[in-house]
Amino acid sequence: MPKRGFLGLKRPFLGAVFLIIVALFGISFISGALGRSILGDLGLPSWLSVSRPDPHLPPEVVFRLFGFPITNTILASWLSILTLVAISFAVTRRMRLIPQKLQVIFESVLGWLLKLCQDVAGEENGRRFFPLVASIFLFVIINAWLSLLPGFGSIVLTGAEGEAVHLLRGANTDINLPLALALISFVFVEYWGIRSAGGLRYFSRFLNVSRFLRGLGKFFKGKLRDGISFLFNGVIDIFVGILEALSELVRIVSFTFRLFGNMTGGEILILIMLFLVPWVLAVPFYGLELLLGFVQALIFGGLTLVFATIAVAAHRREEA
Amino acid sequence: MEAETMKLLAAGICMGLGALGPGIGIGILGLGAMQALGRNPEARGPIMTNMILAIAFAEAVAIYALVVAIVLIFVA
Repeated sequence: MPKRGFLGLKRPFLGAVFLIIVALFGISFISGALGRSILGDLGLPSWLSVSRPDPHLPPEVVFRLFGFPITNTILASWLSILTLVAISFAVTRRMRLIPQKLQVIFESVLGWLLKLCQDVAGEENGRRFFPLVASIFLFVIINAWLSLLPGFGSIVLTGAEGEAVHLLRGANTDINLPLALALISFVFVEYWGIRSAGGLRYFSRFLNVSRFLRGLGKFFKGKLRDGISFLFNGVIDIFVGILEALSELVRIVSFTFRLFGNMTGGEILILIMLFLVPWVLAVPFYGLELLLGFVQALIFGGLTLVFATIAVAAHRREEA
Repeated sequence: MEAETMKLLAAGICMGLGALGPGIGIGILGLGAMQALGRNPEARGPIMTNMILAIAFAEAVAIYALVVAIVLIFVA
């Protein structure tokens, strides 16, 4: 078979595509903000330039439902819920033992998630943690990827207070959604820890006073040397327990800000790239956003899984 | 110096200094992962998984700095 140039396409075709891309880049460079600040106003038509982005961190209210404000990020999260429900419905409508097309894709995604859970947490714990981890992963990734589609951030309405408002905005850029997911994962991790330790014994991980009290007992019974060493280690144990409790709570904050910061930072980055050179420059950043959406979903679900594994295994360390 | 100038300066310094530590940290993590891969190419799965996990922790600190910088420019 004769070699067909680069990537299987004939060379003149590739050359034409390359020239078109360079021309687009040149035009948008001249008409965008960079060109305008270097070369001044050349009188190009105004539809070639993009206005300065004005990112507004709190989500904007689109309308009110029975007095409850519905923001554009809530609409976007409803859209991703609808997408997930529609995909699940289409896949399970006519399930066959030997799957076809869409069922293969969905089964392979879920199988990969289940394998991840079982690799990290073991066979039965992995199966137990799988629903929460998979739900968090799928919700976050569909939120992140849907916000890259056209329509998010471009349809503008007049909002509830009368100012111009976008109809849809990526759901992960509203700080309330990462906070809600972090609280859910925190509650579940603590619940699994309490279930596996058999009750309030789970909290002995944070209120680790057993060695201290044993030291006090030995001290007052007269065994001074043993008592002193137990007392000393007991004080260290109490301190470590307080630190563990604090780190459990700080985990909520770090989950929230990791997801929120990545998603909002990515959105602002793409907006600014579109402002500087409207046409070609934002394409690599779109790719970066795709990758980041997947990585952040994996991190959120994976960290929930890791902390749940630690919480379930913690009580076994004391008995060894 | 007016407040607007100070805020922009503060945002720049915040993000710049805040990216130093995580950058170096992620580089050290990559070094460890590469060395481990070189010694034991068969353990590629666990090494990569744990490396990505640790990189996410390190990157979160840079994201905190980014959030403070964004708040300084657009909200404060």
